[in-house]
Amino acid sequence: MSTVTQTMQDTSSKNTATQQRARVLVGMAFGDKVFALATKLAAYTVLLVLAGIIVSLVVGAWPAMKAFGFEFLITRRWAPQLEPEPVLGALAPIYGTLVSSFVAMLIAVPFGLGIAIFLTELCPHSLRKPIRLAIELLAGIPSIIYGMWGFFVLGPFLANYIEPGIVAAFANIPVLNTIFGGEIVSNLSLFNASLILAIMILPFITAIAVDVFSTVPPVLKEAAYGIGCTTWEVVNNVVLPFTRVGVVGGVMLALGRALGETMAVTFIIGNSFKISGSIFAPSTTISAAIASEFAESSGVHQSALILLGLLLFVLTFFVLATARFMLMRLEKRAGA
Amino acid sequence: MPSYAARQRKSTIVMALCLMATIIGVAWLFLILFSLLWNGLPGLSLSTFTEMTPPPGSQSGGLLNALYGSLVMTVIGVGIGAPIGILAGTYLAEYGRHSKMTPVIRFINDILLSAPSIIIGLFVYGAVVVPMRSFSAVAGSLALAVIVIPVVVRTTEDMLLLVPNTLREAASALGLPRSYVIRKVAYRAARAGLITGVLLAVARVGGETAPLLFTVLSNQFWSANLLKPMANLPVTINNFINNPDANWKHLAWTGALLITVAVLSLNISARIFGASKDGR
Amino acid sequence: MLEKISVKDLKFFYGANMALKGINIPLYANKVTAFIGPSGCGKSTLLRVLNRMYDLYPAQHAEGQIVFDGRNILDAGEDLNLLRARIGMVFQKPTPFPMTIYDNIAFGLKLYENLSKSELDGRIEDALKRAALWTEVKDKLDASGLSLSGGQQQRLCIARTVAIKPEVILFDEPCSALDPISTAKIEELIDELKHEYTIAIVTHNMQQAARVSEYTAFMYLGELVEFDETSKIFTSPRDPRTQDYITGRFG
Repeated sequence: MSTVTQTMQDTSSKNTATQQRARVLVGMAFGDKVFALATKLAAYTVLLVLAGIIVSLVVGAWPAMKAFGFEFLITRRWAPQLEPEPVLGALAPIYGTLVSSFVAMLIAVPFGLGIAIFLTELCPHSLRKPIRLAIELLAGIPSIIYGMWGFFVLGPFLANYIEPGIVAAFANIPVLNTIFGGEIVSNLSLFNASLILAIMILPFITAIAVDVFSTVPPVLKEAAYGIGCTTWEVVNNVVLPFTRVGVVGGVMLALGRALGETMAVTFIIGNSFKISGSIFAPSTTISAAIASEFAESSGVHQSALILLGLLLFVLTFFVLATARFMLMRLEKRAGA
Repeated sequence: MPSYAARQRKSTIVMALCLMATIIGVAWLFLILFSLLWNGLPGLSLSTFTEMTPPPGSQSGGLLNALYGSLVMTVIGVGIGAPIGILAGTYLAEYGRHSKMTPVIRFINDILLSAPSIIIGLFVYGAVVVPMRSFSAVAGSLALAVIVIPVVVRTTEDMLLLVPNTLREAASALGLPRSYVIRKVAYRAARAGLITGVLLAVARVGGETAPLLFTVLSNQFWSANLLKPMANLPVTINNFINNPDANWKHLAWTGALLITVAVLSLNISARIFGASKDGR
Repeated sequence: MLEKISVKDLKFFYGANMALKGINIPLYANKVTAFIGPSGCGKSTLLRVLNRMYDLYPAQHAEGQIVFDGRNILDAGEDLNLLRARIGMVFQKPTPFPMTIYDNIAFGLKLYENLSKSELDGRIEDALKRAALWTEVKDKLDASGLSLSGGQQQRLCIARTVAIKPEVILFDEPCSALDPISTAKIEELIDELKHEYTIAIVTHNMQQAARVSEYTAFMYLGELVEFDETSKIFTSPRDPRTQDYITGRFG
């Protein structure tokens, strides 16, 4: 008899507990929904930012698009003060952007891959972390510091001690005497900007190359070493072919950075809208032009600067999108 | 096929070049740090932190207003950007893990992560400065927030994906609503990573200059009004470099030293924090 | 005998793949029911349907009926959080939360009940005692749950489950990651717990099933081959497949 009562009491207390719990859970349901919705809204904010950038740039660039049309892309002259109508063309900054990034890649890619090869194949284990940290800290230094350093330290050094020698060395060789030609008149030049850019993007290339090199299955490398390959042969015939997609993705990512880099370039490229065959001549890039002129611009001049920004955004978007696609392909393979 | 000795020689040469590249790469870091210390340290004194930015031609002055402005805008920028980034990263890793939109959002986020920061400046100029008809600290903070978001989204998603599903199941098995499972258990498990992400975001925006140039402008004087231009370290450095005034140049170096030390220590502490398994 | 849970014609699908092919089985109140069978037979899947854990994942769904206290818990309107609070689960690998031992247990409790500090302390002590862990951890309740040994972690998870007073506890191979001594402790514990809870346990270990359960279900390829009192299953199974399995001829 007593056990029956006991059981009944148990059951009824269970029921109250269940009811109380149900009430608590109903109380939490609202907050639960709000949190879920908040995360979703935040996630869509990312898309909203992209849309905002595009709309804002197109609206701002519209007057310049109307005024110059397609001519904008092929006009070399940049004369915002010209009366009665300013003449503004994007050719010089586009040229400067592409060439400075290209030269920067020429320098940074071999260096970055070299460091990555050293870190993954040769470096003693105890040194790996500190060296990687040092290289990655290069990426942490704000770009204005690079610009300042280039302006006060690197630029004068190159102009005084290095560049005159290069000009003299190539003076009698056709073509090269144009590329490395001219008089070194100032500390500011396309090449100086490229060198600073190269230092800035070096860590990106190294970091991604180290990551993708480590996706090579050790057994592949061991097999190659096993048949008597030298370290370089293993890197050249096993590691690089296996990771090609990822390396190219990393290089593209760095290119995307270089194309849009602003503060490091603005101080040392010279902000000259002349297109010169020599990499030692001053030049300008899209971002440098915007940074140096935007605050004091107005009207169609400002609109043209925004149009330059739109061009830069489209350019970097495609470069970065390609980079991400390539890295995604590698991730999928590594995951499979 | 060349002899083994020749192949070995070639390999040694290439590897020597790789070693040289590494030495040069590491040397750059120290070269830059050395220049900063050499030029910035002599100007560093108490007045750097207690006096306003001076007018041209003056012999004294400090960076107080610029330091204050940078601090305020970084705090507001991260204060807005980090919560949005954490929530968005949470959606990608938790609620939206199987949604068709998730890869799209992740892809766009990765692109914004590397997008030129000057474009963000142009965006905020058009979206905030023009309608408000004034450069302002608010506009600058928003520009920084836009830069913070993708950084935090990425790290949050990565860190939450590392949290084992067994932990989510265990929490759900107690009857916890989904949001509690995420906030009390998954966040807790990923805490070190989440904090690392925010620290890295602070480091990233701490030295950003381009997006501030035409959103806050700068201010030579003290201003705490968020709706007006506000002094800040990066733009102040930018303006001082462009000027022949010697005192300004010294202050620019000192400011550059401060920014770099702050940003690099943040970077290093984020790494140490992230490496300490769970940050407890 | 009281059927705490009655599973009726249960089918379960991973996408288009049918993993449970019409299961009918009772879980008797205050008894231990063991599920045995070779890997992939669906025994863990069945357990995860009982507290609808599968709802966390897309493209998984169940058909049929699971009657618990007169309600079909497979109904769309079922409050899953409440259901899971009433049907607790202990997993294969110990899953302490990344917080202190105290908080591991207090965490769920504080959510459901408004307790004073002393009441909370009492409930936590009680839960740890029921999980036979109290004497080992009473002096280090502020230590991280992750600092415990595997067996202790598993008992912490049991304490966490017991603390919120469920009616049914599901054990999904709770000892497969543990050493023999910890296993023995958990088995003793299950024997204690059945006085207050209805228990279902999935196990790979037939001796374990024989030791701890009153009823045993043998599953094979998504079907329930045989269900009976444990002693009958292990001494005189009716189905030749059950016989083959318990004599170790496959699985």
